[in-house]
Amino acid sequence: MNLRDKLRAIDTPKKPAAVPPAPAFSSCWSRREIRDPDDFPEAFQLRRDTVDLMCGALTPSLPSVLDPTRILYLDTETTGLAGGTGTVAFLVGLGRLTREGFVVDQYVMRDYPEERYVLAKVEEALQHCDVLCTFNGRTFDIPLLRDRFLLNRMQPGCFDLPHIDLLHIARRVWKMRLKRCTLSHLEEAVLGTPRLHDLPGSEAPQRYFAYLKTGEFALLDEVLTHNAQDIASLCTLLSAMAHLYEHPDAHPHEEDVFSMGVALERFHHPEEARQCYHLASRGMTRTKGQLYLARSWRRSGERQEAAAIWQGMIDRHEGGIVPYVEMAKHYEHVDRNLPMAMEMTRRAMMLLAEPTLFDSVDTQEQRAALQHRYDRLKQKMKKE
Amino acid sequence: MNVDQLADQLRRDEAFMENVVRWEELPTRPARYVPFPDTLDARLIPVLEKRGIHQLYTHQAQSIAATAAGKDVVVVTPTASGKTMCYNLPVLSAILQNQDARALYLFPTKALSADQVSELYELIEAMDVDIKTYTYDGDTPGAARKAVRQAGHIVVTNPDMLHSGILPHHTKWVKLFENLRYIVIDEIHTYRGVFGSNLANVLRRLMRLCAFYGSHPQFILCSATIANPKELAETLIGRSVEMIDDNGAPMGKRHFVFYNPPVVNRQLGIRKGVIPVTRDIASMLLKCGIQAITFAKSRLTVEVLTRYLKDLVRDPLGNAGRVRGYRGGYLPTERREIERGLRAGKIDAVVSTNALELGIDIGALDACVMCGYPGTIASAWQQAGRAGRRKDTSIIFYIASSAAIDQYIVSHPDYFLRQSPENALLNPNNLYILLSHFKCSAFELPFEDGESFGNAPGSEELLEYLADSSILRHVDGRYHWSAEDFPASEISLRSAASENFVIVDITDPAHHRVIGEMDRYTVPMLLHENAIYMHEAQQYQVEKLDFDACKAFIRKVDVGYYTDADLNVSLSLLDVEQQQEAPGGGVCALGEVKVTTLVTMFKKIRFDTHETLGFGHVRLPETDMHTTAMWWTLSDALAARFSSDTLKNGMLAIANLLRIVAPLYLMCSPQDVVVVYQVKSPITDQPTIILYDSCPGGIGLAQKAYGMQRLLLEKALQIARDCSCAKGCPSCVGPEGEIGEDGKSTAMLLLKELTR
Repeated sequence: MNLRDKLRAIDTPKKPAAVPPAPAFSSCWSRREIRDPDDFPEAFQLRRDTVDLMCGALTPSLPSVLDPTRILYLDTETTGLAGGTGTVAFLVGLGRLTREGFVVDQYVMRDYPEERYVLAKVEEALQHCDVLCTFNGRTFDIPLLRDRFLLNRMQPGCFDLPHIDLLHIARRVWKMRLKRCTLSHLEEAVLGTPRLHDLPGSEAPQRYFAYLKTGEFALLDEVLTHNAQDIASLCTLLSAMAHLYEHPDAHPHEEDVFSMGVALERFHHPEEARQCYHLASRGMTRTKGQLYLARSWRRSGERQEAAAIWQGMIDRHEGGIVPYVEMAKHYEHVDRNLPMAMEMTRRAMMLLAEPTLFDSVDTQEQRAALQHRYDRLKQKMKKE
Repeated sequence: MNVDQLADQLRRDEAFMENVVRWEELPTRPARYVPFPDTLDARLIPVLEKRGIHQLYTHQAQSIAATAAGKDVVVVTPTASGKTMCYNLPVLSAILQNQDARALYLFPTKALSADQVSELYELIEAMDVDIKTYTYDGDTPGAARKAVRQAGHIVVTNPDMLHSGILPHHTKWVKLFENLRYIVIDEIHTYRGVFGSNLANVLRRLMRLCAFYGSHPQFILCSATIANPKELAETLIGRSVEMIDDNGAPMGKRHFVFYNPPVVNRQLGIRKGVIPVTRDIASMLLKCGIQAITFAKSRLTVEVLTRYLKDLVRDPLGNAGRVRGYRGGYLPTERREIERGLRAGKIDAVVSTNALELGIDIGALDACVMCGYPGTIASAWQQAGRAGRRKDTSIIFYIASSAAIDQYIVSHPDYFLRQSPENALLNPNNLYILLSHFKCSAFELPFEDGESFGNAPGSEELLEYLADSSILRHVDGRYHWSAEDFPASEISLRSAASENFVIVDITDPAHHRVIGEMDRYTVPMLLHENAIYMHEAQQYQVEKLDFDACKAFIRKVDVGYYTDADLNVSLSLLDVEQQQEAPGGGVCALGEVKVTTLVTMFKKIRFDTHETLGFGHVRLPETDMHTTAMWWTLSDALAARFSSDTLKNGMLAIANLLRIVAPLYLMCSPQDVVVVYQVKSPITDQPTIILYDSCPGGIGLAQKAYGMQRLLLEKALQIARDCSCAKGCPSCVGPEGEIGEDGKSTAMLLLKELTR
């Protein structure tokens, strides 16, 4: 038996494919589409300090003046989603805001030898930009393109730009309310523009392989449309996020505002964070908003501001035992008022006093902690 | 009492000596030293001297010299001979001289990696230089991985991680691949069979990537003592290597005692159990204050023996801690603690599975007790090597169980001591394995027209084949990966069939847990519905076998029987590769066969009495497997001398003998080869005894068996002749009840003809 027959015998070969005539391989396929600038009304107003609020400190850092026309929006379609060096970006879409409109350039390798031309286009575009903007590009698109550069013996240094990854921002702001943060989900829920006849991104690889086998370029039409829409959405989404960060007071969903506060606090913007917590001290996030606001005041050393919030919560019977415990700490350590600290602890204990049939472990722990605090305070009072 | 005194005392003890089949004294070996070679970086020498090393053993110096001369080397020396220095010194020296140089260390298990890294750390710390050594395996935290990839001078990993975690993402490892100077592979004797064949292909992939990044690493390989280390090393890396086996490390005197427990029932040939005997000898050592390791084959035996020995020394002072068990399944921290305790002499007795057989550093002990034969000579010597001081005397006990292979060893100590032929085999060109790795390699880097894959044959055909199946795309002189899959995830390096079945314990409905895996060719035999499956001495019954989902669901039971599936094996011939006239008028041939197995029913067999309690039906699809086989035919003239029943009994007896002999001389596990007989074989139309490789495609066992066919038959005859039974017993041709009254005599007659 020869090797070929053996291979057939141990494997299940698929049908041989019709190989299309090889193109000339001196460039890649490209197409340009210009979208009406009126569709991107706020994109030109993007400010550097807003991006700072959204992203925290970027490495490398943003230019001191942010020129919205020098942001490159990038999205790829690849031959696989698992990653690894055998995965190729067969389509790269690049978006730029210009005075004429939002320009989307798409580059497709019609066959593997054209990959280097696609990569060269990416390299060229990056050289004319200051900032990169993607959706999940930090984890997926950019590492993949870097790999492709290395495999084609090109220097991947052009990717060392400040990089705004909208997925990360979106997760920080909308995860709490929306749970899912895919781009198409955000388009529907945040931008209010659901896609109706869209090709799921996961089908792109199969489309490309089908095209390679048949040479039928039309198979890629839907992939191209999908990719162009993704790129345009990047720009719209970035504007929408900037708007939200600049005008949290105008936003109808307190969960989003609260989440934004958490993100701002993490990136060391306490004042902006407190504004968000304050706005979020209503509805679903009423308790949390107040507690986080008070905590933020305390962390900034504004202990009386914090105490006023906890006291307010106690007066309105909000937040269970937490404000009592916080006030107990406040009286003990800030106001040095041990009787009041005792009083707060005692009232918290009373709140938890009735053991129910199914005490949660949590409640038991809380009760034990309060008892401990109580005993400790008692000791301390005796000594003084 | 020291070992010398104990040896004297035992030799005077008649009751003990009655069961000693052989008492071999292995002579002392003096140390042979050489000064530090000039090629060693000067900064290493004060550090070594501080640790009491003022010169090197001959084999260490030789391997450093050969490495410095640019050669690939394989160092073959026993346990505790300082072989890690053979690679640590050249590697550290190279990095000291060039900060960009990188080295990759491969160990077969994670535990070994950890051990090696700590030793390297000590040397590096003592020198106070910036040489970063990292382990990169499944336990490496995500955050640390980036640092390992970019900054690690020495990356310590295992073949599995290299295969699926490093090679497919080689662009993340540019620094390593561009500057790779040394590839160190320790314990290469463990890379035989499927695992070795896989590793050889992983290395082909690695070398392709090194070529892409422009590096030309050298190999430093280490092996325990086996018959063919050079051949094994060369097959693994596909290049010629220089072998260094001139061991300069000293060794004190060693006693090797072969102990066969006394026969307690002569009719049935039953001997005293191996566990109580082991227990007695281990207790004796413990009482004498002789630090000893006891090796047992199963985890359960380890636990039983440990508990007994602990009880022996248990007292309010906590002395039970002087006895420890050691096996897979213990936590890494616990294992490290035991290893330290052994080195420091705080532990007097350890009972272990073969987990301690590999090169984990526990220092040298005074005594070793082997509870049964570990399966291969190499393992046995590795276990024995755990006892052996550089100056003092040590003692090794091998205690035979009643298993056929154990009895063979104990009645042929020379086979063991004189190193009869024994080889580690692998076949990197097994088509199944080759094809899988070829795909991985194509994924990692496009193949150019005419490019080869290491020394693998037929890469052009493979490329064309993969292009025809639309997995690769051939365009402009290159073959590009053109599929969505991640091919590395489809291969497990340690077994042959890609789709393993998982075994799920559903005893606790709230908590299903996976307790094991099994390859698909074995599943119909052991995991058919209603089969009793044994796992760690616990019985389970198979409740459901989902063949499509590759899952078997089992539930704990406690029943007095086991099950035995009736396997119908039919073989059809695909190709005869070689054949030769054999004595007795038949032929001996080597070729490819298709093995079709079908399980149709199973028997329930009672423990103890072995009576059949009932039958059950099995409805499972046929399984086909292509593999290599070798066979002997009996000529019509020879066969005509016997009635058909007699002939059948004789052939069955020969098959049973070959099942014992073949693994011994092929150095493989018993389940790696299958021996069947056919009174009228569809392959040859004659009475035929067939031995085939149980791994799809074969890993070279059939070829090797073909090459030593006469020896196999001679050894089979020898066992039958030397066994004291009259008409058969489980230690040779099989019990009389199975092979009939005339089985043994017929088998011996036939074997004499076949080896005339």
